[in-house]
Amino acid sequence: MFQTVAIAALIVTFVGIALHWLATPAGGPRCPLSGAVHVFSLLLIEQKSSLLGALKKLCYLVAMVCFVVLAITGFYPTLVKGEHISGFLMYIHATFAPVFALCLAILAITWAGSNRFSFADAPWLTRLLRRVTRLRMPADDRPWRCSLAVYKVAFWAILFLALPLILSIVVSMFHLLGTDWQYFTLAAHRWISLVFAIAVIVHTYLAIRLRMACRE
Amino acid sequence: MKRRLIALLVVSSALAASALAAEEAAKLLGDESDGSRAQPIHLIPLYAENDKGEKGSQIDPNDPLAMPFSTRWTCGECHSYGMIHAGWHFNSVDANVPAGRPGEPWLYFNSKLGVQVPLSYRSWPGLHRPERLGLSPAEFTKIFGRHMPGGGPGEVTPTETEALAEQYVTGKLEVNCLACHNAHPGQDQGSANGYAIQVSKTNFRWAAAASCEFADVTGSVTDASPTYDPFFADESEEGAPRVIYDKKAFDAKGNVFMDIVWEAPKERCYFCHSDLFCGENDQKTEKWCADEDIHMTAGLTCVDCHRNGLHHDIVRGYEGEAESSSNPMAAASSCRGCHLGDENGDRETGGRLGAPVPEHKGIPTVHFERLTCTACHSGPWPSDEPVLAKTSRAHRLGTINVSKEVRILPHIYAPVFVKEPVADANSPARIGPHKLVWPAFWGTLDANDSVQLIDLAVVDKVVGAALKDVPVVPTGDWSELKEEQVAAVLKALAESGETKPVYVTGGTLFELDDTGAVTSRKDHPAAAPYAWPLAHNVRPAAQSLGVGKCTVCHATKSPFFFGKVAVDSPIVAVSNLAKAQYEFQKTSLARTWFFAFSFIFRPWFKVVAIGATAVIGVVLLLYGLKALGAVAKVLSEQE
Repeated sequence: MFQTVAIAALIVTFVGIALHWLATPAGGPRCPLSGAVHVFSLLLIEQKSSLLGALKKLCYLVAMVCFVVLAITGFYPTLVKGEHISGFLMYIHATFAPVFALCLAILAITWAGSNRFSFADAPWLTRLLRRVTRLRMPADDRPWRCSLAVYKVAFWAILFLALPLILSIVVSMFHLLGTDWQYFTLAAHRWISLVFAIAVIVHTYLAIRLRMACRE
Repeated sequence: MKRRLIALLVVSSALAASALAAEEAAKLLGDESDGSRAQPIHLIPLYAENDKGEKGSQIDPNDPLAMPFSTRWTCGECHSYGMIHAGWHFNSVDANVPAGRPGEPWLYFNSKLGVQVPLSYRSWPGLHRPERLGLSPAEFTKIFGRHMPGGGPGEVTPTETEALAEQYVTGKLEVNCLACHNAHPGQDQGSANGYAIQVSKTNFRWAAAASCEFADVTGSVTDASPTYDPFFADESEEGAPRVIYDKKAFDAKGNVFMDIVWEAPKERCYFCHSDLFCGENDQKTEKWCADEDIHMTAGLTCVDCHRNGLHHDIVRGYEGEAESSSNPMAAASSCRGCHLGDENGDRETGGRLGAPVPEHKGIPTVHFERLTCTACHSGPWPSDEPVLAKTSRAHRLGTINVSKEVRILPHIYAPVFVKEPVADANSPARIGPHKLVWPAFWGTLDANDSVQLIDLAVVDKVVGAALKDVPVVPTGDWSELKEEQVAAVLKALAESGETKPVYVTGGTLFELDDTGAVTSRKDHPAAAPYAWPLAHNVRPAAQSLGVGKCTVCHATKSPFFFGKVAVDSPIVAVSNLAKAQYEFQKTSLARTWFFAFSFIFRPWFKVVAIGATAVIGVVLLLYGLKALGAVAKVLSEQE
């Protein structure tokens, strides 16, 4: 069941992103290859001159590499071969996992501030609340920046999902849970990783979109 | 047309009904339980078999030429012998019986001739049928019947006239019901005049009587004159077998009270199913130093799990057995069946007989997919080198004058953790503890590059002559062979008419090249070791592998993966080799080693992961509180 749902969910995600990209072009090179290089440079190479900025970028770079490795090693055997992860794929998965967790923790600290929600993120919500609750809230008539709001939601979703994602595996390594719970944590890890991966993909896509929008 | 059809149906129904009625009528007194848990009393007459192989006269203890009682005709009065005879312990020669999971072979060995061959009539891969070694069923029975409960090859009717004449005298080795069901302490399977000795003397007809507490057998078929006829013997016949019955055991009607029990006592099973695991470095292990199976100490007996009804299709107790077994208890009587519920997921059977339902706290579920239950729970604790094991059937344990030397042949190593299909070739393979033996035999190579065993008579004659100067080792260990001696034997075999003679030992096949020099091959399937699963003794849960820490197995020097399994051979150059446990698990050194090595970093993994989780949690909490503060601020400003 997981195999079917995961494949469908990932296809829907990628198709959705592709349709969104086509429906709202963000500019940049039209050639796919040079476009990819452009995107890569936007995300990783171009950086602010401060040390913290460079570290944040480096951390993000490592996290992205880890994510790609974890996603491939984790989803490939399950989705393509219909098997559980094992052997060298599992060794690689388990090696990159703590590095990813560490990077995620650093990104949580360094990025959380800039990802705080404000009234400007969802002016329609402010208007709705003002109308329904008659509360006095600051009015903001600027157009809604959907991408930014979803970007922030994706960020917090990543952090929120990271907790059960990591703990579901770590807890199973302690002599705490019996077989039934072991199966549960394994299933939880699998399902959460799917949602987590979608959140990361959406977050990355929107990060690129926002960076491109800033350059324009 | 319609009338014909109706008539056909009526006739068919009538035939079916009559067949059922006949079957119903064929049920004997003891074939079906009435439900009482009480033990039936067996005060019964004894019957012998007559010269036509039919039911003979009742045994008279006062007759000096009394025949041995026949279990077929004595027990068969109330229990359908034909059904019992088809049970697992007696049906090895029936090619139609599914062989099921590989089991213990019969091991024929000769230390001086460099022979150690695993034999069986069952079609387990890697074993040789006795006739390939030139052993007739009667000869096989004479050698190995000591630890058989009768039946099987002991009851095969030969086709040759000479063999038929021999069987007329020796009788068949009938199913010895007493071997399992006699609860009397005088049941004698292995002592000086008991069952095993009678079988080795070819006194097949007398073996069951000799084993019971109220009869004694003297003489033997082999000591009798060539004209001896057991049915028309006279008292002057010297050396011929005689049965002396204890007259006090018979009542006025000539009936005998037999202490027969439905559930075989464990001591009866132990005669054929005892194991002795020697210590490391070939140290002797005394029985009192080793614990019994935890199920025994918990108060169970063998037959609580290994159950059968009249059909004697006993539960062997492995997973997947239900697919080939007609025993309805098969699925519920494996380890999982009792402790977790049957293999179909029926949890109602879990916890039977007070079996604790294990929680397996902290054991990743992959272990249950890759390992058998016995991998962690059974057999001796794995050591750097698997130890030598002795079994009743391989080493004649429990019989008179048995050698107690540790290194006596055959050499069985345990525990060897082998990855094999649990039930049959189609079931998923799992790693489990096995006993392992390295075949050693003289054979010939055919056109298909497969090895055929050379007849034992030829081996005795040709190989025996070529190796006549090789000294016999007093401990019963291999007599050391050198490659030159192997070459000499192979040449002698070739000269005797054997085409392409070979010697298989220690996983290596030796053959002569065109120049007459000895060459060897290591990958020939005929040289592969034979391993069979080890299920007992089950250790207490507190002594399971992996209890407390993963590094019992997942360490770069753990015996489970990196223990060295000795390669057994009379040729020193071969026996100096060893194979690592992981090689039997169909995995690579790199994969096994890296995984084991990763456990060094596992504590760090846990620390980093928990630390990262804590930081992320704090950030979420902090910004969650800030969000709550913002909401509170908005709400408070409404005042």
